[in-house]
Amino acid sequence: MTQLLLFDITNGLIIGAFYVLMALGLSLILNLSNVINFAHGGFLVIGGYLAYTLLPYLGFWGALIAAPFLTAIIGLAVERVLISRVYGRDPLYSLLLTFGLAFIIEDGVRYIWGAQGKPVGIPEFLSRSLSGELFFITGYRLFMVATATTIVTLLFVLLRYTRIGIRIRAGTLDLETVAGLGVNVRALRSLNFAVGIFLAGLSGVLAGGQLGLEPTMGDGLLMPSFIAIIVGGVGSLAGTVLGGLLIGVASGLTAVFYPSASEAVIYVLMAVVLLIRPRGLLGEEGMLT
Amino acid sequence: MTIRSGSAGIGRRTVIKSAAAAGVAQFASPFVVSAWAADTVKIGLDNPLTGTYAAPGGNELIGCKLAVEQINAKGGILGRKVELLVEDSTSGDAGTAVQKARKLIERDNVDLLVGNVNSALAQAMAGVSYEKGVLHIVPGGHTDPITGTDCHWNVFRVCNTTRMEANSIVPLLFKTYGKKWHFITPDYAFGHTLYDGCEANLKKLGGTITGNELTPLGTTDFSAYLIKARAANPDVLIVLVQGSDMVNCLKQISQFGIDKQIHVAGTQQELESVEAMPPEARVGIWMFEWYWNQPGVAGVDKFVADIRKASGGKVPTARTWFGYVSIHSYGLVANAQKSLDAKKLAKALGDFQLPPEVKVQPNNVYFRGGDHQLMLSAFIGELLKNGDGDPENLFKVNSVVSGDSIAPPVSETGCTLKWPA
Repeated sequence: MTQLLLFDITNGLIIGAFYVLMALGLSLILNLSNVINFAHGGFLVIGGYLAYTLLPYLGFWGALIAAPFLTAIIGLAVERVLISRVYGRDPLYSLLLTFGLAFIIEDGVRYIWGAQGKPVGIPEFLSRSLSGELFFITGYRLFMVATATTIVTLLFVLLRYTRIGIRIRAGTLDLETVAGLGVNVRALRSLNFAVGIFLAGLSGVLAGGQLGLEPTMGDGLLMPSFIAIIVGGVGSLAGTVLGGLLIGVASGLTAVFYPSASEAVIYVLMAVVLLIRPRGLLGEEGMLT
Repeated sequence: MTIRSGSAGIGRRTVIKSAAAAGVAQFASPFVVSAWAADTVKIGLDNPLTGTYAAPGGNELIGCKLAVEQINAKGGILGRKVELLVEDSTSGDAGTAVQKARKLIERDNVDLLVGNVNSALAQAMAGVSYEKGVLHIVPGGHTDPITGTDCHWNVFRVCNTTRMEANSIVPLLFKTYGKKWHFITPDYAFGHTLYDGCEANLKKLGGTITGNELTPLGTTDFSAYLIKARAANPDVLIVLVQGSDMVNCLKQISQFGIDKQIHVAGTQQELESVEAMPPEARVGIWMFEWYWNQPGVAGVDKFVADIRKASGGKVPTARTWFGYVSIHSYGLVANAQKSLDAKKLAKALGDFQLPPEVKVQPNNVYFRGGDHQLMLSAFIGELLKNGDGDPENLFKVNSVVSGDSIAPPVSETGCTLKWPA
């Protein structure tokens, strides 16, 4: 029983690492631009399908690098044409806009690639388990965790030690003052949005290798990512990481001991956190008001 | 402001007028002399075109369209052209499916309602068609009550019941893989009745169940369930989930190497899912409800060729066949009875035998009069890792079991048809 419990906690952390990757992109966009990006799951799907298309030409590793960049370029165009028009308005506008955009992306993907699912092949050496005992830890899952860890580290370095990162963090706290100091806020927001969408595209490629590709695959991954942000605390990237790992472990454990609540448990966790600490575990008071 | 094209200046208003004229021209009907009677026979398809079940719903639509085309080419129904009205029911919103069914019946006055892929939506739609007294054919919703405890005089079903599926394959899986079984079951109506069917068969054979993992519809990560299933050490892991859940589950089973340690198999399998899996995930013995590669069986080659032409080279799946059978059954019966009266046609559809060019399979295929369930064959066999002779030939059929040998008798289904006066 103890072994099963340890297996499930480890497994939950692996699942959580993926949620972290997805939630970080969402969190970046939400924090700086106050945009609740419901189309984030759609961009994840675009990333996955672009990788599927590029795979025969570039191989897995080439597609892993190229697809997120292409997704970010599409995201940048969407931001310039659509999202930028709702900056500064009530977050409800961006929520409605991206909600509609999510449907457009889903139908667009279905139109281009078809409704039937597509398989994404992964390199042979990544598809093996570590050992017969630890069968659930495959090379690919370890690679996903390593990628998530690397991205989190890079993002924290970027935000802490680079000029752009410091501007993004400052903008998260007070965008008007940052603009008043002569920073090009328009470019800052665009860059920030593109980085967020890059992370969605990367999540899509990684998810494609683990799951099958289908036009609705982003739906099931979007809500846990939002909940990770709320549990961890809006405005705190460290909180997003903590939130993602927590809900991964919670849903993994519940699936074993009380399977019918495995979906509900993350919402229960969110409700408990909101009741006890409304700003989230590591969130700052007054964010997103 | 003026938009210029080439050397001549064209005013903005001119461009708008031209565009408007071009638009109107698209909708203006040319004067065509037609031999059709004034009224059309309307068939309403209320099926998923978006969401989780968009792929099977799309294939059922292709089958329906081909049947309508073939019926019209032979003079339509009662000399009237057949018109297919298509509505997106969504994949899981019963409210939308019911609203669309009401629209098709009350506003469009359809003569036949067809749908749904989703069992729960099919049941909800059956409530509406029964209330309105409109003939209704369910192409692909499997849960037992549709032609069981909740059966109606006006509702017919083409696909198998879950009990028929379990009866067709459980004895073979027991003989091949052993007696200790562990299940991964989708946590909704379809999964529950399919599990019940498997459990009843297994108990009869003297088998044991080490556990049943109930997974929510739309589960993406099965690792926690698989850890538990492997810890139970069964002889065989039976996968009952469907669609993208099936793809995710089998993909993770293969990545974890579970199929190398215990047997993996299941009941219903669909070509849509198999094509979405990587080769290494295609393992085990399964049951298809119809399969396209049937050498020497009358009508199959033509049906496959016609569908390939209509779907950009793709072969028909069981879903395509469900749609095709739904429309042709109605057309054949209506023309034979020379009527569109729902009650008269429902009586005639009971015990109606499908002709070879529609059944496209070896055994007798007919709607059973007592519960309006189609007695269709079950194709039992093994998944192939790579296409054999054709990239889409991913299943090796070992036997074709007749529907009436696997269906429980009407007395055991709980169905009592109540006919209107």
